[in-house]
Amino acid sequence: MSLKPYRRAVLLALASLALLGLNTLTAEAQKKGGALRVGILGEPPSLDVHWTTATITETLGNHIYEGLYTLDATNRPIPMLAESHSVSKDSLTYTFKLRQGVKFHNGKEMISEDVVASLARWGKQSVYGKALFAQVAEWKALDKYTVEMKLKEKSAIVLISLAVPNNFGAIYPKEIAEKFAPEVKATEFVGTGPFKLAEWKPDQHIRMVRFDEYRSRNEAPNGFGGGKTAYLDEIRWQPVPEVATRVAQVETGELDFADDLNLDAYDRLKKNPGLRPIVAKGNGWLVAVLNKKEGLMTNQKLRQAWQAAIDIEPIMKNVAGGHSEFYRMDSSLIMTEIAAWHTKLSGLPWNERNKEKARRLLQEAGYKKEPVRFMTTQEYKWMYDFALLTKQQLEDVGFTIDLQVVDWATLVKRRNNSKEYDAFTTGIGAIYDPAHVNFLTANWPGWTTDEDILKLQAEMAREIDPKKRMAMWEQQTRQVYEKVPMIRYGDLAGLRAIRNTTKGFDEKTQRVRFANVWVEK
Amino acid sequence: MTAYLIRRLLTLVPVLAVVVTVVFLLIHLIPGDPVSVMLGPDATPAQIQATRQALGLDRPLHEQLFKFYARILRGDLGQSYFLDRPVVTALLERAEPTLVLTFAALLVAVVIGVPSGIIAAAYQGSLWDRALMLTSLLGVCVPGFWLSLNFIYLFAVRLGWLPAAGYASILADPVAALRYMVLPAVSLGFNQSALIARISRSCMLEALQQDYIRTARAKGVSQRSVMWVHAFRNALVPVVTVIGITMAILIGGAVVTEIVFNIPGLGRLIISAVLRRDYPVVQGVILVTATAYVLINLAVDVLYVFIDPRIRYG
Repeated sequence: MSLKPYRRAVLLALASLALLGLNTLTAEAQKKGGALRVGILGEPPSLDVHWTTATITETLGNHIYEGLYTLDATNRPIPMLAESHSVSKDSLTYTFKLRQGVKFHNGKEMISEDVVASLARWGKQSVYGKALFAQVAEWKALDKYTVEMKLKEKSAIVLISLAVPNNFGAIYPKEIAEKFAPEVKATEFVGTGPFKLAEWKPDQHIRMVRFDEYRSRNEAPNGFGGGKTAYLDEIRWQPVPEVATRVAQVETGELDFADDLNLDAYDRLKKNPGLRPIVAKGNGWLVAVLNKKEGLMTNQKLRQAWQAAIDIEPIMKNVAGGHSEFYRMDSSLIMTEIAAWHTKLSGLPWNERNKEKARRLLQEAGYKKEPVRFMTTQEYKWMYDFALLTKQQLEDVGFTIDLQVVDWATLVKRRNNSKEYDAFTTGIGAIYDPAHVNFLTANWPGWTTDEDILKLQAEMAREIDPKKRMAMWEQQTRQVYEKVPMIRYGDLAGLRAIRNTTKGFDEKTQRVRFANVWVEK
Repeated sequence: MTAYLIRRLLTLVPVLAVVVTVVFLLIHLIPGDPVSVMLGPDATPAQIQATRQALGLDRPLHEQLFKFYARILRGDLGQSYFLDRPVVTALLERAEPTLVLTFAALLVAVVIGVPSGIIAAAYQGSLWDRALMLTSLLGVCVPGFWLSLNFIYLFAVRLGWLPAAGYASILADPVAALRYMVLPAVSLGFNQSALIARISRSCMLEALQQDYIRTARAKGVSQRSVMWVHAFRNALVPVVTVIGITMAILIGGAVVTEIVFNIPGLGRLIISAVLRRDYPVVQGVILVTATAYVLINLAVDVLYVFIDPRIRYG
C-alpha cells in the first residue's frame, strides 16, 4: 500500500517533530550540576599514573589526565590530545601535531615541551612506556605544537602504547614531569582532563571537580575518547573497603555508583527498583602463572599435565557463584572485547579435561609427588576459589599441591622471587596489543624465557602489517598452548551497581568513566 | 601519690621501647613489601627495586631500625609511604573518629552493662537474671561484624532509618555525626556491654554476700540503700577496671566496626597499613595505642583511690 504524498509529508513532519522533541528532552535532561558519589574498594597508592600499574589509579587518573591517544569503543587508538600524526615513508619517524588551546588545570596551555617531558618520564617508568622507548632513538619538540619521535627500528606499538589506559602516557605540565624522578611518585596532580583534583582526604574521599576550561574534542563520545562533557559539579570517590557495606550503601542511595561488588550480591541488587546491577564483561581472565625459572614447573611436561587435567567450566561456575552471566569460556589470550586481536583457533589443548593424558604426562615428566607450591590469596575471593578447585582437580590426577594462602602484599612480593613458589594466581585484564602481553616476557614474574616465544614477541613489536601481525599472533597463541608458560582459565566478569538517577554512563568500557554522566535528583 | 605517678610514668619509657622494637621487627620480618603493592600487579622487578632504593627499603634491617630510633627520639614518626603525609598528621586526622566512636560505644556499654549486672545480681536466679545473662552471653558470643552487618541491613537498607555507613565530624555537623554514630556505637557497645554486665553481676553478688551487707540489712537499711550505697560502691573497683580496659581496647581501634561502618579512624588506618605494609604508619599507630593503653591503666589505678578510700599508693 502506497501513501499519498500529503500523508507522507504529514507523517514525515510528525516524525521530525517527535525526533526534535526527543532531542530536546535529552538536551534538557543533560543538565550540569550535582555530585556523583562513587564507592571504590580502597585508596589508590598514588594518582601518578606514570608510576603505578594499580587499576584504581588508572580509573581515577583517567578523569584527571589525558594522553596523546586513547582507545575508541572497539579498543583501537584514536587521538586525544594529538590533533593528528604522520609517519615517514620508512616508518621510522612519527610526527605528532598537538591540539591547540588545551589547558592544564593550572591554567597553563599544553604545548610540546610538556609532551616531551611527560613521555620521557613515562618512558623510563611505565611498563608500556619502557616497551615503546626501547625502540625510540630520538624524542623531541619541533615547534610549540609539534613533536617528533624517531625510531631505531620499525614499530607496531607506537600508537597503541600511547593509547593504553593503564600506567599510561598522561601529559603532565613540564615542571611536574621534570620535578619528580621516574621512580619517585609525583605528589602534584595536574592534567588536562575534564575533572581536576580538589581534595584528597585519605580513607574518606577523593573529590574531583569539573574543570570549566576543559577543551573537549568535537567528535561524539567514543569509548575512552571523543567528546567529553563534565556535567557533574564533582565526583566524590569514596573508599569503602568492606564490600557488603558498598552494596548496602548503593542500595540505600548513599552511593550513586559502586564498583567491584561481590557476585553473591547480584540477586539482591536485581530486586532493588532504585538501581541497576551491571555485569562488567571484559573484566579479565583467571590465570595460574607458572615459574619457569626455577623448580618443578621448569619441566614443560608438568606444565602440560596441569593444562590437560583441569576442567574449567565447573571452576568458573563456582567462582561466579553459579551465575552464568559472570563467566565466559574462551581460549583466546586477548578477550573478545578487543576484537582486532581476539582469536578463534580450533584444536587448542585448552579445557581438555583429559585425566589420562595428564597422568601420562606426569609419568613422562618423571614427577614423583613432589609438592607443587601454589600461591594464592583470600583477599580476592575469586583467586582463592579457583586455586582451591584447581588443587582438587590436580590432586585427582596425581599432583601434590601445597596451596599457600597468603595476603596480597606477600603474594606480590614473593612472586618476584623464583625460589619461593611454583605457581601463583592472578587475573589478566584487557591486553590491547599482542606485543603487550606481560606474561610472555622474561622480566615479569613467572619469567617466560622460551626463545621461540620471545623471538615472536620481538618480531610482532616490529611488524607493522596488521595481517602479518595477526598471523604471528595466532602462531604465538598455538605456541603458548604448547609451551604452557601459564594456565588460562575462563573470563570472569565484574559486578557494578548504578542508581537509576545516574544517567549517561557507558556500560561497555572496561573501566568506569564519568565524563558525559549526569545525575537527576 | 605524686611519687607513685612519676614512677608509673617512668615505666612508660621501657614499655614503649620494647613495643616499638618488637613492632618494627615483626612488621619488617613478615613477608610482603609496600613497593610491590604500590606499583601494582604489572610492575616489573626492576621497577620495584628502583622504588625500594628510593624509599631506603633496600638498606639492612638494623640500619633501618637505628634510623627509626633516631627519628622517634626527635619526635618524628616518619612519613607514610601511601598517604604522602607525616604519620603524625595521619594519626591526628584519624583521632577524632576513633575517640567519638570510643566514647559513644563506651557510653552504650556502660548504660546497658552496669544496670543489667546490678539487676541480675539483685534478682539472682530469677527470670530477669537468666534473661539478662543470656543476652550478655549472646553479646559476648556474637561476632562484631555479623551484628554490624545485620544492623546495617535492618536499620539502613530495610527500614531506612539511619545511614548504612560513613562519618561526619562532630565539630562540623553534630546532628549528622549522631546519625552516623548510632549504629556503630550500639553494635560495638552491645558487644562490650556483655563483659561489663557479667563482671558487674559477679562483683555485686560477691559484695552482697559480705558481712557488712548482712549487718546493714539487720539494721533495717532499705534495699535500695543496701544495693547502691553499700554493695555497688564496693563492687565498683573491678567494674571500673573492666571499663578502663574496654576503653583502652577501643582507643586502639575498634577495627571491625570502623571497617564495616567505613569510619576513617585509627582501626581502619592500621588495618590498611598492615595490608599495604605501610611500616611507618603501623609503627605510629601501635606506639600511640600502647601509650594510650598504659595511660588509661594509670588513670584507672588513680581512680581507685577515689572509689575506695582504703586504697593508698605510697
